[in-house]
Amino acid sequence: MRRPPHGVFWASGLVALVLQLMALPDAVAAARPLWLPVVIAYWALTEPRVPALLGALLFGLCSDILFDNALGQHAAALVVVAYLVTRLRGIFVLFPLWQATFALAPVWALYAFLMFWMDGVTRHQADPWLRWLPVLATSLLWPLAFTVLDRLARRRRQED
Amino acid sequence: MNTLSVSDHRHLFPRGPGLGLKTLLLLVLCGGLMAADLRDERLGALRSWGAWALTPVHWVATLPDRGLQLLDHLQSRRELLAENALLRERQLVLESRLQKMESLEAENRRIRELLASAHDLQEEVLIAEILAANQDPYRHQIMLNKGAADGVYRGQALVDAHGVLGQVVRVHPDTATALLITDPDHGIPVEINRTGLQTFALGRGDGAALRLPFLPGNADVQVGDELVSSALGGRFPAGYPVGRVVELRQTPGGHFKEAIAFPAARLNQGRQALLVWNRQPGENGSPRPADGAVAPADPAPPTAAPAAAPPP
Repeated sequence: MRRPPHGVFWASGLVALVLQLMALPDAVAAARPLWLPVVIAYWALTEPRVPALLGALLFGLCSDILFDNALGQHAAALVVVAYLVTRLRGIFVLFPLWQATFALAPVWALYAFLMFWMDGVTRHQADPWLRWLPVLATSLLWPLAFTVLDRLARRRRQED
Repeated sequence: MNTLSVSDHRHLFPRGPGLGLKTLLLLVLCGGLMAADLRDERLGALRSWGAWALTPVHWVATLPDRGLQLLDHLQSRRELLAENALLRERQLVLESRLQKMESLEAENRRIRELLASAHDLQEEVLIAEILAANQDPYRHQIMLNKGAADGVYRGQALVDAHGVLGQVVRVHPDTATALLITDPDHGIPVEINRTGLQTFALGRGDGAALRLPFLPGNADVQVGDELVSSALGGRFPAGYPVGRVVELRQTPGGHFKEAIAFPAARLNQGRQALLVWNRQPGENGSPRPADGAVAPADPAPPTAAPAAAPPP
């Protein structure tokens, strides 16, 4: 029996954390894709043996500290994403890649909404319209991210 | 895509709590953390440790930015030389102005003593490097390379060469996080320089402007009025420029009018900022703090804006 790809999982999460933090030009900063949800969703979708829920919690807490949100805000939203994708795995895996891209868009929208809502609860106001740009950017990113992550995971499988 | 690995995820007798229960537990944990974090500062230590442990992530994330800067510096040696000459000239002019400033300050102090006011122009300051800016476009925060070890405290005012930048909101051992005045969470007591009207300015969250809400309908505010910081609330040192009014809005039928102002500080330029110690009168006995790491504030703090026009 193959070992689950724990190393690739944690490494890809760390890379997503760095990408989330990296400086972007001002023009596209508002449309920064949601890297962490993409990575968490990929693993929840394709590899049931890695602890996606635990990873979601830990990486969420890390980004809360890095972005100085209320502790647990990103973590809760990421846990919800991981749960949803794991739960609906049976449906998602049947779709070809382009259909999955559309099918996952509501998940990104839910994540963006949760962040928006919790910002509201913690009394931090922001322009509500620009909030939805990352959903579009993330949907466009998904096929690319999925292909790259799949390559990585497959190469590791062949090495074993 | 359609690779469902069925090797070992189906146990005949599943052990441990199910997926839904696990999720529920984690969400309750997150909710508890958020509530505890919002209620008080009990999780400050955890946050400090986390920030310390995540320093490498920060460092890696700023690598491309720094690489670009390095490349820039290597390529633009000539520009640097020109800039150096310009800055030298500028320093000469400023020094000459400083000499005048000292006499003016002495005069000002005499007049203030006449007024029996305990306001001192010389405040204790410390130059801090801006390490990073928060990449969330809705939070205007910067990270500074001075922390609790340098005596930085929460609520400390931060200024640059042109005006008030913001205030320190979190102090870590060697770094500190500051909130800029344009952040929607930030409010600063201000005084309209022309009339002396005391009010407050909130950040608008778009990174460019401040909002002065709830001005009385008959308040004497005009476009072009200069806002300076006010000592009300005891957090900011008085008299630093904050911004300039650019627009007035009166809602029809409303009781209040609102003014929009642009900040005086150059919020997204430069890599240095000045931390100001705002001594209450009586707290600091000597009028001039003599400390090695400390420079006088008012005579033109060093600016890192190379694009600044040469002084007249």
